[in-house]
Amino acid sequence: MIAVIGLVVGVVAGLVLQPTVPLELQPYLPIAVVAALDALFGGLRAMLDGIFDDRVFLTSFLSNVVVAALIVFLGDQLGVGTQLSTAVVVVLGIRIFSNAASIRRHLFKA
Amino acid sequence: MTSRHTQGDGQPTARPALVDASMTLINEFYRRPLDPGYALAAQRRQAGAGPSRTRPGIAALVVLALALGLGTTAATLQLRKPLGQANEARRVLESQITERGDEAADLQTQATALGDEISSLQASVLGDADASLRAALDASAVESGAVEVTGKGLRIELSDATSADADDVDPDARVQDSDLQVLVNSLWEAGAEAIAINGQRLAATTAIRSAGSAVLVDLVPLSSPYTVEAIGDSVTMQTDLARSSAGQLLATLRATYGIGVEMSSQRHLDLPAVRVTTLREATVPAGSGLPDLRVDPEDGAGEDGGPVSPSADAVAGSSRR
Repeated sequence: MIAVIGLVVGVVAGLVLQPTVPLELQPYLPIAVVAALDALFGGLRAMLDGIFDDRVFLTSFLSNVVVAALIVFLGDQLGVGTQLSTAVVVVLGIRIFSNAASIRRHLFKA
Repeated sequence: MTSRHTQGDGQPTARPALVDASMTLINEFYRRPLDPGYALAAQRRQAGAGPSRTRPGIAALVVLALALGLGTTAATLQLRKPLGQANEARRVLESQITERGDEAADLQTQATALGDEISSLQASVLGDADASLRAALDASAVESGAVEVTGKGLRIELSDATSADADDVDPDARVQDSDLQVLVNSLWEAGAEAIAINGQRLAATTAIRSAGSAVLVDLVPLSSPYTVEAIGDSVTMQTDLARSSAGQLLATLRATYGIGVEMSSQRHLDLPAVRVTTLREATVPAGSGLPDLRVDPEDGAGEDGGPVSPSADAVAGSSRR
């Protein structure tokens, strides 16, 4: 639970402080945010399943973001940046969707 | 890896023979959306073999959580920002445009006021000494477009052909600078004393040109419909116009290109003065008792009192069709 509290505090701090992201990192932001969403939904589902774990949540969050950014970076270097971004978005999108569906089943029993 | 092959409702998925073996990647994503790490951790916890929570470990977790939350928020905010910046830039440009427009209007009124001052000073200097000189001056002021003119005359309205697709207009179906040039030249020929297009008075040296798809009259961009107003005897102008090349051109424009042409004689037309009058040549009138000085700032383009001479640009207009 401490991870969730930390995350919320971080979000609030971000909203208050309004930090700026370095220009070089900007191409990776959209994918990183989608990856973060995926990790968030995964964490929520795990919580509802009763198997939430702080460490797993944060590690998956971090690795998701880093790997997603890395894939985009690699794609940019190879000249297939947009295609790889699409691939990442599709994969993460499917995961978000099915996690959200399972969360829905938990919450509404339907 | 001991993976958790269960759906969300806890039913173990029976693995049938892989009929959809080619879909393993998709199936993998679809059946196991949850990070298997959660299941592993839960199993370890159940077995009592979970990693012992040390104080530095927890601190590291908190720091990581803080950093991730901060980073994600920063990224999200950053992603929302460019739109704001673009809007800001557009707002700045808009305000600049209106600002400059106001400035130009101010300067224009200033120029008009100064022009009025000049003519009133001129009148006071001349006094009522020489009636014929003043009459000549007044006449040349009309011809050079330096003063506003009111009178009856002819109004011709040209409008672009209407097209179903506004983005894809045949350039031939638009009124072009050459059309206006031919029309204006024919009007001068037909005895017009003063001509204005969309409120832009034409002097002898006013250019009618095109820049891209816009028609510039005296360097002011105009758009369809183009209202050409000519002061003079509307009956003779109309008949002369019909006989001239412009008459044929207007008929062609109407019939072939669908350009709207409407001609009407008007009892009352108000034409403004030319926006900018440039002094090209000045002479001291004979018999004024002053030495005959000739001021010729640049090679004069013609004499004011001569026959009405449309601008070189307007004359250059050749038929495009």
